Amino acid sequence: MADLFPPLVTAQIDGKPPKADEKVDYSNLPCPVPYDELHREAYMSLKSETFEGLRFDFSKGLNQRFSLSHSVMMGPTEVPSQSPDTTIKIPTAHYEFGANYFDPKLMLVGRVMTDGRLNARLKADLSDKLILKANAQLTGEPHMSHAVFNFDYMGKDYRAQLQLGNSALVGATYIQSVTPRLSLGGEVFWAGVPRKSGIGYAARYETDQMVASAQVASTGNVVMNYVQKISEKVSLATDFVYNYFSRDVVASVGYDYILRQSRVRGKIDSNGVTSALLEERLSMGLNFLLSAEGFFFSQVDHKKKDYKFGFGLTVG
Amino acid sequence: MAPERKGAGKSGGIDSSILAKIINHDVASKGRRAACGAVYVSKKLLRSTGKAAWIAGTTFLILVVPLFIQAERDQMLGEIEFQQASILGPPPPGAL
Repeated sequence: MADLFPPLVTAQIDGKPPKADEKVDYSNLPCPVPYDELHREAYMSLKSETFEGLRFDFSKGLNQRFSLSHSVMMGPTEVPSQSPDTTIKIPTAHYEFGANYFDPKLMLVGRVMTDGRLNARLKADLSDKLILKANAQLTGEPHMSHAVFNFDYMGKDYRAQLQLGNSALVGATYIQSVTPRLSLGGEVFWAGVPRKSGIGYAARYETDQMVASAQVASTGNVVMNYVQKISEKVSLATDFVYNYFSRDVVASVGYDYILRQSRVRGKIDSNGVTSALLEERLSMGLNFLLSAEGFFFSQVDHKKKDYKFGFGLTVG
Repeated sequence: MAPERKGAGKSGGIDSSILAKIINHDVASKGRRAACGAVYVSKKLLRSTGKAAWIAGTTFLILVVPLFIQAERDQMLGEIEFQQASILGPPPPGAL
């Protein structure tokens, strides 16, 4: 599926599984997708960032491995209010400075915002099969900072992950390839602060043309989605989310057109929300060494009469 | 004034009684009720058609218009590339 994603999107390296002959070689199954990325194709097509306002990103590489980034965001952010019908929007603007270090074995990303938040990510290949990932977010407010460490182990046809968080959060996931196309997995987590534990199961079936995945968790979430690749440029996706405790149901259908210079994604929801995201690679002429990408996002919520539009530019 | 009114009332009375008879007739009142009902239903229909047209129009605008624009540009880009390829021909082997 590596040719599904254009250079516009950050590269997702996924080796193509070997074409199965008539007989399935059960001792030679491909390595499955990581548990977090089960719904990867559906999320890429359907979960567009609901961004409102202006965003401008500029990145400059100082070195082959080190780069800095500056980003300005201006726009209203939603604050959850008491009644579910009205949403309070507070206009905010902030500037974010970031530094990235990319090595084949080590990746460090740090971001600092003008409202005092620090976000740091680390990904290190400890060995050929063991990967350590850490994510920390520090804020000035007390008790709002958190950090999560993940240890991923990649076996021959399985993946296991252990997750440790700062407020006594422990989780583990395991996913195994059962046939060349089907992989099944499960997860267990225990959170110390709200004393909750949960268990979940997931399944993913993929072929060259389609990916279907389902996930059930004891928090009440049931997620099922299906992505069909119609041609090289077009894919359609549908998604169904159901929570059997709070009885929330959302179904959505969307399309994803990947063209040469742009990518258009559109989606319509059962809550009466339609949204579209257009990303375009702007050609700045032959003199410029930098590339620019612009994006434009629009969302219309017919039930709540909420209209959101956002646009942005990424340079470098 | 009084006689005028009385006279008017009398002549108006005769007219008004004929008019009142027509107005209060069964058929006329049924027709009036039917007309009220038809106006009510048509108002509702117009409003719901308007709502549906608005929803359909904005949804079409959000979902379909950017796609058409981008697809057109991609097609034009393809045509330009094709024309350039046919005009310039394959690049010579010694070219950089």
